[in-house]
Amino acid sequence: MNAPLLEIEDLCAEVSGKQIIKDFNLTINEGEIHAIMGPNGAGKSTLSYVLCGKPGYTVTSGTVRFKGKDLLSMSTEDRAREGIFLVMQYPVEIPGVPSTTFLKHSVNAVRKYKNLPELDTMEFLKLVREEGRKLGLDNEMLKRPINVGFSGGEKKRMEALEMVVLKPDFAILDEADSGLDIDAMKVVAGSVNSLRDGKRSMLIITHFQRLLNYVEPDFVHIFADGHIVKTGNKNLAVELEQNGYAEYVKVK
Amino acid sequence: MTLMSGEIYSYSELAAKAGVILPTPKTEAWKYTRLRDLLGTDYQLCETTSKKGENVPFSANIIHISNGKIVSELPHIEGVTFQIISSAEALSNYPFAKMNAAYLTQGLQIEISGTLNQPLVLNYFMMPEDKNYFYHFRNRIICKSNSKAEIIEQFTYDGNVKSCYLANIVNEIEIQSYAHLDHYKYQNEAFKANHIALHKVNIAEGGKYDSFCLQKGANIARNETEVSLNGEKAEAVVNAAYMMNGWATLDTTTNIYHYQPQTKSSQIVKGVIGGTAKGVFQGRIHIAPNAVHTSGTQLHKAILLSDTAEIDVKPELEIFADDVKCSHGAASGELDKEQLFYMRSRGIGEEEAKNILIEAYLNDVINMIENEKIREWFKSLR
Repeated sequence: MNAPLLEIEDLCAEVSGKQIIKDFNLTINEGEIHAIMGPNGAGKSTLSYVLCGKPGYTVTSGTVRFKGKDLLSMSTEDRAREGIFLVMQYPVEIPGVPSTTFLKHSVNAVRKYKNLPELDTMEFLKLVREEGRKLGLDNEMLKRPINVGFSGGEKKRMEALEMVVLKPDFAILDEADSGLDIDAMKVVAGSVNSLRDGKRSMLIITHFQRLLNYVEPDFVHIFADGHIVKTGNKNLAVELEQNGYAEYVKVK
Repeated sequence: MTLMSGEIYSYSELAAKAGVILPTPKTEAWKYTRLRDLLGTDYQLCETTSKKGENVPFSANIIHISNGKIVSELPHIEGVTFQIISSAEALSNYPFAKMNAAYLTQGLQIEISGTLNQPLVLNYFMMPEDKNYFYHFRNRIICKSNSKAEIIEQFTYDGNVKSCYLANIVNEIEIQSYAHLDHYKYQNEAFKANHIALHKVNIAEGGKYDSFCLQKGANIARNETEVSLNGEKAEAVVNAAYMMNGWATLDTTTNIYHYQPQTKSSQIVKGVIGGTAKGVFQGRIHIAPNAVHTSGTQLHKAILLSDTAEIDVKPELEIFADDVKCSHGAASGELDKEQLFYMRSRGIGEEEAKNILIEAYLNDVINMIENEKIREWFKSLR
């Protein structure tokens, strides 16, 4: 069995005074792909923001360890530098900051943290253009301000580009398939799969099974009422697709 | 007015001697800009000068002006004649210009005909030691018909940064028919210094004045531009950016007068203000009754980095003609929290993320500078 990468124990978290995550437990080992599925409003996105330390998402109890280190005491940027990457459901537009400039700041901040020399501009551009081409993002696109005026599919391709360039140890995909056509989803799934090396782990948060057809999970968890209510293998996702979440959601 | 060297004078005292009535907090045009520190300070005449001064990273003709006096030889430039001046017009509507004339340190007339192939830099350099020096400098810039030039004013300092010196600069600019002047300014005075500048610009038919000013220094700084569009199809661009942490007041004031038909003006001013600093923007567009088919636009945007920073914005449109296009807009806010989180979630530290956002914010207006070398220079100064 591989070493644990992420260990979440009895996690409780709230947003604006409302408890969303309740006694959540999950361990993800190196190389594993986990999927969390659940109905709208169950708190799936909240979980991903809590793991990234987004301001406004308050942990009230519990622990999270990443590579054995206390994750919750780290700043958002240090979590990223340690190797956590969140593919966001709604990537943010930043006018005036070209995509390549943004990526260069990002890559070099992570390299600096790891005591690696910063990439020079030529090396960096070569890397980004090559990875961009694989994702269908051309040079013109990379010069544009990041995500500004991008279509939903282009934004997700940009997220995938950031991910493959940063090569995180742990990627969280928050509804990465929402708003994507089949082609874009295949491209995004392709970059996720390209990162699989038996060491890196993923957490895929989704409503639907369809992304899981392209990125095959080792475990599927059903998330309801703030925690995991059932765990199974990939067949659980198929089952959910047929029967829905009704039996897991408490009647309120 | 004769002043004794080594004597100490308050600015109010100097004004009284010259018969100038300085603004009070009740003076409408100055009510947002606290002048108390400036008026109460004891000043003395500059005695020393220095040749030191910051260079610019592109080829240019440079005139060094230290403590209000020209200290370098005037360059020989084809199509330009210089003349040192020792007296200047009072420009009575402007009390500080009146002071500038009454106590003129030195002045320079620059007459431009033809097209200049590189920028002319006026490099104002203050070496204040521990004394509160003041200087009054005047430029009379005459752009002859069909001439084309770029003039850059740079204000920097060296020495005891705690000195509360005062720089009072007036530019009288005449742009004759179809002449074109690009006028850039970088103001980075010492943090207790005061800087009052007036640019009085007259533009004849088809002439164009294109300006950009970056302010990031001084305790009280006012950059005031009065443009009179006196001929048909005359055009003015009065853009600016300012950034300040600490407690300073940075004031950008514009008065644009459209006197003739088909004249055009546009203003974009962007500010970033933190600490207890204050940004002031007062912009007036006046369109005279016969100035039909004119267009005047104005936009001020600011980012407040702290709860104690302050912005005062006073746009005024006075439109007496029909068939004109005129607009003004103002917006202020904080740095976008979602953008900050997005950047931090990609490993970019909080301070760096803020700086990237501020840079992008100011680049909006800096990117409008056509000359690439000057544009990149301003980006490096920000």
